[in-house]
Amino acid sequence: MKFDTIIIGGGLSGLIAGIELSRKGQKCMIVSAGQSALHFFSGSLELCGLEDEPAKAMEQLPQSHPYRKIGLDTALTLAERVKPLFAEVGVNFKGNAERNHWRITPLGVLKRAWLTLDEYASVPSDGLMPWKKVALLNIDGFLDFHTSYIAAGLAERGVECVVKGISMPELERLRHNPTEMRSTNIAKTLTGELIGKLAARINEYAKDVDAVLMPAVVGLAGNADVVRLKEKVDRPLHFLATLPPSVPGIRLQMMLKRHFQKLGGVYMLGDTVREGVFEGDRLAGIMTVNHGDTCFKADNFILASGSFFSKGLVSDINGVREPVFGLDVDSLDERPQWYRKDMFEAQPYMSFGVATDVGFHPSRNGQPVENLYATGSVLSNCHPMKEGSGAGVAILTALHVADTILKNQ
Amino acid sequence: MSREYDVIIVGGGITGAGTARDCAMRGLKTLLLERLDLTAGATGRNHGLLHSGARYAVTDQESAEECIQENMILRRIASHCVEETDGLFITLPEDDLGFQSTFIDSCLKAGIRAEAIDPKEALRLEPSANKDLIGAVRVPDGAVDPFRLTVANVYDAQLHGAEVLTYHQVTSLIKEGDRVVGVEAYDTQARQKKTFRSRLVINAGGIWGHHIASLAGATVNMFPAKGALLIFGHRVNNMVINRCRKPADADILVPGDTICLIGTTSSRLPYDQIDDMKVTPEEVDILLREGAKLAPQLMETRILRAYAGVRPLVAADNDPSGRSISRGIVCLDHETRDGIPGFITITGGKLMTYRLMAEWATDLACRKLGVDKKCQTAQICLPGSETEEEKQKKELQQGRRTLGHKAAHGRHGTRTSAIDMNDSEDASLVCECEGVSVAEVNYAIEELGAKNIINLRRRTRVGMGTCQGELCACRAAGLLGKANGCARKSLDDLASFMNERWKGMFPVGWGETLAEAQFTSWIYEGVCGLDAFSKKEE
Repeated sequence: MKFDTIIIGGGLSGLIAGIELSRKGQKCMIVSAGQSALHFFSGSLELCGLEDEPAKAMEQLPQSHPYRKIGLDTALTLAERVKPLFAEVGVNFKGNAERNHWRITPLGVLKRAWLTLDEYASVPSDGLMPWKKVALLNIDGFLDFHTSYIAAGLAERGVECVVKGISMPELERLRHNPTEMRSTNIAKTLTGELIGKLAARINEYAKDVDAVLMPAVVGLAGNADVVRLKEKVDRPLHFLATLPPSVPGIRLQMMLKRHFQKLGGVYMLGDTVREGVFEGDRLAGIMTVNHGDTCFKADNFILASGSFFSKGLVSDINGVREPVFGLDVDSLDERPQWYRKDMFEAQPYMSFGVATDVGFHPSRNGQPVENLYATGSVLSNCHPMKEGSGAGVAILTALHVADTILKNQ
Repeated sequence: MSREYDVIIVGGGITGAGTARDCAMRGLKTLLLERLDLTAGATGRNHGLLHSGARYAVTDQESAEECIQENMILRRIASHCVEETDGLFITLPEDDLGFQSTFIDSCLKAGIRAEAIDPKEALRLEPSANKDLIGAVRVPDGAVDPFRLTVANVYDAQLHGAEVLTYHQVTSLIKEGDRVVGVEAYDTQARQKKTFRSRLVINAGGIWGHHIASLAGATVNMFPAKGALLIFGHRVNNMVINRCRKPADADILVPGDTICLIGTTSSRLPYDQIDDMKVTPEEVDILLREGAKLAPQLMETRILRAYAGVRPLVAADNDPSGRSISRGIVCLDHETRDGIPGFITITGGKLMTYRLMAEWATDLACRKLGVDKKCQTAQICLPGSETEEEKQKKELQQGRRTLGHKAAHGRHGTRTSAIDMNDSEDASLVCECEGVSVAEVNYAIEELGAKNIINLRRRTRVGMGTCQGELCACRAAGLLGKANGCARKSLDDLASFMNERWKGMFPVGWGETLAEAQFTSWIYEGVCGLDAFSKKEE
């Protein structure tokens, strides 16, 4: 089987690359092992959170950073394409790349964000709270959302919170099984006809408040439930992030995947690339675990397999390696140097990753592979947590590599 | 503030807990002071091995005899803290098989059941053991949960009228002339200085007892011995596995609940480092290399964390150099030894002999106070173990029982009935790895004095499973926040809890452990912004 481009990894970066290439007419395949970082999506995408203005913040980044390889001006131009691209997929974001706004974390802390889902609560870039008094609701018995933390965070910023719990007989079944009261299970229950009932319960508390805030536990299968709920609630309703799994994250991944498939892309779920077939400095094809001797061939390949948690990088007692193709990685030899004693310091291991040239070509034994590209969190020399750059690097490197492939075809 | 007690016990490890129970059971008005949480020292940082005594049989008959006697007592009085696994002492091709008969003879002499079994039979009993073994001896080793055991002792002491104050650091001993008549302590949570008066002070501070003794003006020569251990995320072995040779590094593999532990290394440590122990990469390498000789599967098993405990080795009084070390129980009457009446030190010994240590110390205390009461701690069962196992099982079968019930029963024994799980919200699980319910967490907060997540972990195992507190820590913090009414405080606590976990993880930070650590950081720092609550360390 022959494709124009094969993408390894079905998370944010792989899907964006696949969609961009497919909408320009390429025949693409994505091989995905399953879970990705979208499963703990906060509701917001970050570009660079070191300062209020992403452009200024990006100037602090080292020369080896992926944004630098793209070029900061180009990166900001690419960023302009992201909101319309998601709109095509059916997901609407608010925010812009000129100035970060703030998202509200599950612990009631404000963090800088570039784009936030329309239905989510957010605070404008000036940091002034948009409400004086809110109803802060939780589903009774749901332990992955803590109103006390959020109420304390909002109170510090002068917002009065009326905290209430919602019980519904339909959720009782979940509560009888001690492990069932999780965000995705609640979202599976709170759908269809129950949206009306839920809205009625919410409206009991939606009097004399500026807005209603609740955990993002609605809309696993699509936007429809979210839209209907917002319509039926008397006051502006905004969602807040829960602890994982992330309902909107799972929905976002599903919508991106569907859009990719609608554009003609082939999405192979639950498969893993076993090895690459190399011809000189080119990658000719890949073999997967589920497809035996079949060699999937393509003109170009993108490695978007993620970091350690997604198994895009693997470590053992002796070192770090890239498990699919055995690509060269940037890491440190001495294990004690991988860590800092304080968990919240910048951990060196977090910036380990596949080494690439400025064109995002990885190398094997020092030799660049000319038709292979790496994108997203498998890349070295960025520290998504400390820079507030995870989603931005995933998306912008994917768009940049897609542009490169299209230009060269 | 000043109150009068018969005895004040300093130290909330197993020795202090056992001594508090014994004293209280003999009718003494007892106060236990602990500077941190219960089991925060060596008690919480060891194998959790229910020694049969076999390990000491060849080198130290006296310790071996004490071990087997206490082993049999603990099986009875602390059945909910003990798992009767039995143990194997295996001989590998590189070991001297001739040692086996000496070993068995010494065990039998000490009263320890020891039976040589065929290597094939040994592998059938314990399939994880090294297939190359050329000999095996079966002994009555087992596993004991030191957290549970300590909490049960403290709980029983309280039932007998003792008062227990954690997070109270003894800052000085009050003396009248040469006599010790009480202590001054600093309540680190209320940030308040307090005075407690008593007729006797018993120093049960483990290695920190060196310092407590010096406050009284006495010198007890203790040498800190560090022992590093690794915890694996999967229970590889069902029986304890030892090497049949003279005790050496990393030659005991102990199963416990869903995990197993390999240890220990042994090295001297400067006294000023006892509060800040690091496991070095070299120690990790030794533990893994030697551990894999006992059970080769360990090489492929995920390591949850590394940690180290520090044991007090007590030098004989006539040998300040520390070359002549006693591993036995040391009970010092400072009145006769140093001319300091009112002060007793109980040290040396080991987890296995805590009850006996407590008995010795309490016997001495009673003699001094003119109290004529016999020790009953070897006969009367601890709370949680009172009834026959049959009864426990019956209780377990009554009514609707969830995963949380079953797991809680393992941890709290017959005390489980005090955990109210009638409501479905109470039954919902905070920690899925370890089956800890909302009700159990609330029970630990209300009844067992848990004030923070680390306290909760010690009392319920929350955050100790394979995920190492990934989501349960946040859920537990939420419940604590609700109980103490302060969100900010519980977030500070959550940040320090996660950081404490990390310190045990990074020495073994590769493979799945590193992947999990990265995920945890993405959640807590990335999604949640917990870094805003972390205290900068110097």
